[in-house]
Amino acid sequence: MYKKKKTGLIGIIITIIVLILLVVLSNMDTQKLSSAENVFSYLVMPIQNGLTYLKNKITGNDSFFSDVDNLKAENEDLKKKNSELEQSLREYEILKAENETLKEYVNLKDKYKEYSTVPAYVINRDISNYSDTIVINVGKNDEIEANMTVISDQGLVGHILSVTDTTAKVQTIIDTASSVSSTISTTRDSIIVSGTLDNNSMLKATYIPTDATLVQGDNVETSGLGGIYPKGIHIGTISQIVNTKNITDRYAMIEPAVDFSKLETVLVITNK
Amino acid sequence: MKKAGIIALITLAFFIIYFLQANFFTWFNIFGIMPNLFVILILFVGLFAGKKIGLILGLIFGILIDLLIGKSIGISGILLGAIGLIAEYCDKNFSKDSKLTIILMVIISTIIYEAGEYAFTIIKDGIQIELLSFVKILLIEILYNSLLIIIIYPLIHKLGYAIENVFKSKTVMTRYF
Repeated sequence: MYKKKKTGLIGIIITIIVLILLVVLSNMDTQKLSSAENVFSYLVMPIQNGLTYLKNKITGNDSFFSDVDNLKAENEDLKKKNSELEQSLREYEILKAENETLKEYVNLKDKYKEYSTVPAYVINRDISNYSDTIVINVGKNDEIEANMTVISDQGLVGHILSVTDTTAKVQTIIDTASSVSSTISTTRDSIIVSGTLDNNSMLKATYIPTDATLVQGDNVETSGLGGIYPKGIHIGTISQIVNTKNITDRYAMIEPAVDFSKLETVLVITNK
Repeated sequence: MKKAGIIALITLAFFIIYFLQANFFTWFNIFGIMPNLFVILILFVGLFAGKKIGLILGLIFGILIDLLIGKSIGISGILLGAIGLIAEYCDKNFSKDSKLTIILMVIISTIIYEAGEYAFTIIKDGIQIELLSFVKILLIEILYNSLLIIIIYPLIHKLGYAIENVFKSKTVMTRYF
């Protein structure tokens, strides 16, 4: 009986240690692990390299000579493409510089001055892994209504779902059920920006027009369509463009301007 | 009288869990995924206090969760109520004395609750189905819930039988005669 109790206790302690280790390791910055990674790579990589070399030797021998001609042709083709790309990159750099100066003229932060806003604190966060709503400390008493837009000093946060006398529930744009009609600020192409389950700090842009040209780093802002969000509120920047076989299915990942994990103060736009 | 006291204690446990979920577990997480202690609480109530209490408390707590942070009212209530009912079924068919069966019950309840919530969101908001991401989150959540069960099992066992003696004293007797 005593022994059973003791082993049970040890089991619980081990589980607690495992849980803490899991939490710490899963939240650790991978950069900090680079030294450990280094040691492992020193141990494993020479063997891995040798094995890959062997595998390539064995599988690649028979097709080696027939491939040489193909590779030469491909190389020529790629060189040509590369020079074309370099050309377009130079054009892009010029456009980017032009864009920067234009943005300075507009001065993003002053843009929101035309709206009358009510400041609020985030007082509660979602308890589910599948949705991202927050609760703020203003409500009906502060003349807050459903569907009003919520922003922070960096950009769009979301819209009001429901209000009580002193609090309001906000559906953030990173919630999977949220979709915002937006435009790419440079090309003015319309897209739909929605939240994803996969990554809480990323947005997914879909319904990209087939003739639209997307460039990494482009700003995305609200289009004003749909009736909830006013036009021209900064959402984020395009961080990755994913091309699929079918051009209509291609999508882009957008990094939101607002860091939702550290969001503490917001502004509710009260005029429509 | 004793029953009312126990229900009050369970309600207190619900609020403690709510604040843990909203604060502590937002940073004490595994790959950004939190556990779901509500499922464990209602399963525990259903197992030891019976389906009636499990169903009623599940419904009330679920609606409270929806009112406090949910996007629509009702679905959490229905699902937690269902878990209260399932717990009674589990109680009749499986032993509560085994840690493994309790873990299995928690895994099944977590799957039912989260799949139900997600299915409802898909139907209501017409969102794109991200099955792979959903399964990934669910698996981590199940792992987290199972680890927590292993840690709190002795507490559940002791408290559970104390509650069962109050709520099911008659049925326990008839089982042996």
